[in-house]
Amino acid sequence: MRSLRLPVVQLAVNIAVLASIYALIACGYVLVYRVSRVLNLAHGELMMLGAYMLVVTASQFSSHWPVAIAAAMGLSLLTGALVYLFLMRKMTGEMVLAAVLTTVALGTLLRGVMVLVWSAQQQYPAQALDVANTSIALPGGARISFFAALLILTTALVYGALLAFLRFGRWGIRMRAAGQRPLLAAQRGIDLHAMYALAWGLSTMTGALAGILIALDSGLDQTMAIVGLKAFPAALVGGLDSLAGALLGSLIVAAAEVLLIHYVDPLLSEVVPFLVLIAMLVVRPWGLFGTREELDRV
Amino acid sequence: MRYRTLGVALVASTLALPPSPAAAQEAYTIGLTGALTGPPASTYAPAIDALRIYIDRVNAAGGINGKKVNLILQDDSAQPGKAAANAKKLIAQDNVMLMLNASLSSTYAPVTAEAKQANVPLLFASSVCPQTVYPPADPLQFCTTAFAANYDSRATLAFIKETAKEPVRIGFSAMAIPLSRGEMDFAEQQAPSFGMTVVGKEVIPPPTPDYTPFATKLKDAGANWVFSWAPWVTQVRTLEALRRLGWKGDFAAWAHLEAEGELARLKDGQFYVIGANALFQDNLPIHQEIRDAAKKAGVQYPAEQMAEGWIAGMVIEAALKAAGWPATPQKIADAMSNLNVDTKGLRGGPIEWTRDNHFRTRQYYRVYRWDAAKGTIARVKDWVAFDVK
Repeated sequence: MRSLRLPVVQLAVNIAVLASIYALIACGYVLVYRVSRVLNLAHGELMMLGAYMLVVTASQFSSHWPVAIAAAMGLSLLTGALVYLFLMRKMTGEMVLAAVLTTVALGTLLRGVMVLVWSAQQQYPAQALDVANTSIALPGGARISFFAALLILTTALVYGALLAFLRFGRWGIRMRAAGQRPLLAAQRGIDLHAMYALAWGLSTMTGALAGILIALDSGLDQTMAIVGLKAFPAALVGGLDSLAGALLGSLIVAAAEVLLIHYVDPLLSEVVPFLVLIAMLVVRPWGLFGTREELDRV
Repeated sequence: MRYRTLGVALVASTLALPPSPAAAQEAYTIGLTGALTGPPASTYAPAIDALRIYIDRVNAAGGINGKKVNLILQDDSAQPGKAAANAKKLIAQDNVMLMLNASLSSTYAPVTAEAKQANVPLLFASSVCPQTVYPPADPLQFCTTAFAANYDSRATLAFIKETAKEPVRIGFSAMAIPLSRGEMDFAEQQAPSFGMTVVGKEVIPPPTPDYTPFATKLKDAGANWVFSWAPWVTQVRTLEALRRLGWKGDFAAWAHLEAEGELARLKDGQFYVIGANALFQDNLPIHQEIRDAAKKAGVQYPAEQMAEGWIAGMVIEAALKAAGWPATPQKIADAMSNLNVDTKGLRGGPIEWTRDNHFRTRQYYRVYRWDAAKGTIARVKDWVAFDVK
């Protein structure tokens, strides 16, 4: 009986954790795309940079891990805004493709800088912060690590806060306006650059939060940037301009991945996000909750 | 100083200038293509750094046969395309007499092809030894790296059999790269002959944000031992995911460069690392020598991760010395084909190359784990030798 129950609950937990990772990363793609129609292909690197910022703040606040995380998030918010102000702002009015290529170049640059500063070796910020990643027992014999549980909780809070912010917050409404009708928004006195900078800042901060929690759970190395890219299909499946879509897309991709690992072949986990994506592109190219719009052919 | 090596590596592909013809004639020019950056860099960059320090020391002491050694480092980020371009440049532009590879096995084919075409000897240092260095060896390919396909699995399974107190139900964890998968396939085939029951094998794609789904399968399969022969990240994250699931079994893994620091971090008495390099906790005079050199050079990586690169340096020094001056690629290859280098305790025995064997004639293994009672790393099993035939 135990062997029948254990995998089911544990599989559900595993799906929830992986979906939370993808969702927290994917909302960063959505925020930038929704406001500026730019695909940020440096999102994985910015996420990794956020995790490395925790390594920095951990050395300053070694006995207060929530403070260290908050400081790293603050630095990431600032980094995202600065990326827009000093780099992406120059792309305003240029072809979207040029902006996307700029993010590719930014990602390459960031990867090199991070190796220079922090080297290629594994980092364990949880150890520096002296916080134990305890294993929590759940009903049905399942288990979850402390930081994985925190990741699920954080994802729920982030999505709740972002949805409320975009729907009810003054700046959130302005951000939506800047994304939907930039010309009209500018004529109504909305500072578009400020909105775009805010979107980049929030996107980088949420991505960094994902990177921080992954690093606290299992460590940090140079592969994290690629993890950021793995969440991209989840955002596309849900619809690149929909936060709710990103959440659902993440859940679908994570469920497919975990179930195939368990019941079919672990190697499929590498391709399944992209198989789901291809299936979605064939059936509904704009994603589950995305806006149907004129698609550019590249 | 701190950023010197990697700084050089990052810009090497665009900025590294060939030595002037006069300088090249007056020095042994050797070139390395390696993963100084990129996802697997943590396995290779410390070794490359150690090699650089070693060569710097040799040069500071007057060089070899009165000539300096000009070591040219090229970063390939573990990408075959970059490695191919590096190899072309090192051979055609820099006229290297000896080429080194310190990168993923996916870079081997283009680098090997370039070296072979130019008749330049190729040394694999810190990257896994290819089949071509085992008897009967390719005349131009050599390897100093500690880990050895098939031998490592045999040694590990023998250790598990000897250590296990109850019937072994073994699971395997590999990274989805050819060498790791191949080795775990080999171990899976061998395990029954050691009296073990194979209960599972997980091949984990890199990178994976969460190892728990893979660990869940191994735990659920009822494994009481898990053996992983993969890049360090896959080994240690599989173990940690298993522990977070409440798994109480024993875990054996290859002792990569990171092993010593990680044993101390994890403090897990049932985590065994098996390797061919002596850990620095043995505190041999050579270990102190490496520590001092690393400190003096102000390197980014812990000295404990430098044995692999240091050994490569010792072998290169011996080979160039034997080749004499003026040196040619052929003279160096000939010297390497008849070489015996005392590793001063860094390995269980010398690195001995013959005309037929460019790996080593005997491979030695040691096993370590964390000793909670003593609060230190403990040697579980001393050197065991395997003849390489």
